[in-house]
Amino acid sequence: MTATLQILFDALSLGSLYALGALGIALIFGVMRLVNFAHGDYIAFSVFVLLWPTTEAVSILLLGQLPPILLIPVVIAIGALLSMASEVTVFRRLREANPATMMIASFALGFVIKHALLMAYSSRPKSISILPGLAQQVEVMGARIPLLQVVTILATIVILLALTAFLKRTRFGLEMRAAAQDFTMARMLGVKANRVILLAFAISGALAGAIGLVVVVQTGTADINMGLSVMLVAFIATVIGGLGSLYGAVVAGFLIGGASVLMQVILPLEARPFRDAFVYALVIAVLIWRPQGLFAPRSSRQRV
Amino acid sequence: MKARRPSAFLCATALVAAGALPAAADDIVIGFAVAQSGFMQAYDEPATQAALIRIDEINAGGGLLGRQLRPVFADTSSDRAEGARAGLEVIEAGADLVVVSCDYDFGAPAALMAESNGKISFFLCAESVRAGIQGVGPHSFSASVLAPVQGATMVEWGHEVMGWNTYYVLLDTWTEYNRGICEGFDYKAPLIEGGEVVGRDTFVNDDASIAAQITRIRNLAEPPDAIMLCSMMPGVVSAIRQIRNAGIEVPILNGSGVDGSYWMDAVPGLSEFYIPVQGSIYGDDPDPAVEEFNQRFAERFGVRPSSQYAYPGYVMIDVWAKAVERAGSTDAAAVVAELEKMEGEPTLFGPRTFTSELHHQNQARYHIVKVDNGTPGVIDSWTISEPIPLDALVR
Repeated sequence: MTATLQILFDALSLGSLYALGALGIALIFGVMRLVNFAHGDYIAFSVFVLLWPTTEAVSILLLGQLPPILLIPVVIAIGALLSMASEVTVFRRLREANPATMMIASFALGFVIKHALLMAYSSRPKSISILPGLAQQVEVMGARIPLLQVVTILATIVILLALTAFLKRTRFGLEMRAAAQDFTMARMLGVKANRVILLAFAISGALAGAIGLVVVVQTGTADINMGLSVMLVAFIATVIGGLGSLYGAVVAGFLIGGASVLMQVILPLEARPFRDAFVYALVIAVLIWRPQGLFAPRSSRQRV
Repeated sequence: MKARRPSAFLCATALVAAGALPAAADDIVIGFAVAQSGFMQAYDEPATQAALIRIDEINAGGGLLGRQLRPVFADTSSDRAEGARAGLEVIEAGADLVVVSCDYDFGAPAALMAESNGKISFFLCAESVRAGIQGVGPHSFSASVLAPVQGATMVEWGHEVMGWNTYYVLLDTWTEYNRGICEGFDYKAPLIEGGEVVGRDTFVNDDASIAAQITRIRNLAEPPDAIMLCSMMPGVVSAIRQIRNAGIEVPILNGSGVDGSYWMDAVPGLSEFYIPVQGSIYGDDPDPAVEEFNQRFAERFGVRPSSQYAYPGYVMIDVWAKAVERAGSTDAAAVVAELEKMEGEPTLFGPRTFTSELHHQNQARYHIVKVDNGTPGVIDSWTISEPIPLDALVR
């Protein structure tokens, strides 16, 4: 029972990370059909601002010195600002371009952010210990769970509830959902495109900042490639969930996180190095079964 | 923003390009086809700097065969395709020795270029058996020690000195280096009396969480005497942090890839962590000459070496120059023959051996560094009782 509970928490916390990432990618895809491959670099950037830019091995805290009550919102705000800046300076100019062009632009943008970090901080990973309180263990029904896991899961639930309320209860949310359903029609009905898209970028970037915080507290390391694996899984989750479906992206994020932890637990040692291959085999199976994803929105079905 | 210290070898490149260094026709040219930019730069630079220190020492002592050593540089930009071009560039500049990137995959293109031109190549600090005869050819060498020696050193020392018998093996499947450490462990562990592996697991360097792996360790009936972790930067820090945060306090062993105190902020108060190093950067090397070297390094480049991976650069020039001296020429075949005669050749960082079968170290003296309450320091030295045989290295 205790072991099962432990596995459940492991799966939920990894799933939370992927779900937040998938949500960030799905939000942008929803409003402008852009798969933003720079998302992983937003995650890394939000973490690196915690440190002084130096290419030496020893790291010195910059924003990381802030008290937690400021640190968390500041990192999230920086993620949001970077994401908004990329919309204003890059993607807004490509609004009429086809999705492939925008996707390539997002790759290029990611490359620029990554190499800017490389120049300022070098490729050597930097160590950083923030929010040390989260490192302790808590006892939940006999299982010893790292506090960070509990906080990650709770924060994800709160973020998801808040976002749902925002999308369902506010005018901005309504506009955003309308834009995700049918962008042209929404604009005709008076939805201001720039405002909705900028807002989507802001939320997506804020989520990247939140992921960055969780990962850095978990690993104690800032690395220029740190956002890559989460971004990749998040992208796959948005595809399985059904491109354009926020709900689907979140569910698929949790499913992949769960599958990954489960594979680690049940696979025999010889097969464990190929864990990801098994997880992605499941992904392929799901896509063969439902090529449009688990929860494909109606809008995407019509287009195919 | 803190200004980036001008990299010594970038300056040197600029000087050579500007013709400011006195470049005589009979200089012996050492070509560095290494990364001066991009991902590998942070890893190639320290060993290159250490090599420059040895070059200066030799020049100050009257040179080699009465000729001055002159380094030339070509940037691989951390790009494998550019590596071959950089190799060719330094060969065209007259290099007798081609120094290539620290990592096998990044260094191999330039090393292969040297091989096809009949020149000697030295990997700055690659620890795969392929960095040498097996992967490049008979003119290729590595300046460091094979990764399996590190795993074997830790388990043999752990058993003989600390009395550890039961081990849990946690392998990060990301690189050959990581696998190499565990292969060395797996070769040695059955040879020690009472040695037992009580469990194994794997992870991947960039796993966001290794919670499932940790749960498995915690579910062991009895905690192991030590955890043999086979991993490297950056994922290894995350793994150590997660293991300790989970309340698992047993000793953790790893290879030299984790040397340096720069990452220890990530695991406040880290204790019971052990690694092998070729020399100590912490000011406590049993040989005072190593600390003198560290200070010279700091004077010249503004910072002390951040890990032991600067040292192989110094060893490389040292053994090559001795071989040239003994051969009485820089002719590749003659120098290789002299290098292959070296058996337990003393260097500042321990004895070195090369044979016609292996241009790498399959046995080496290591200092054991223990991290205690966040402070690393040398506590012992160890050389594995037998070299790791070639057939255990080449699979």
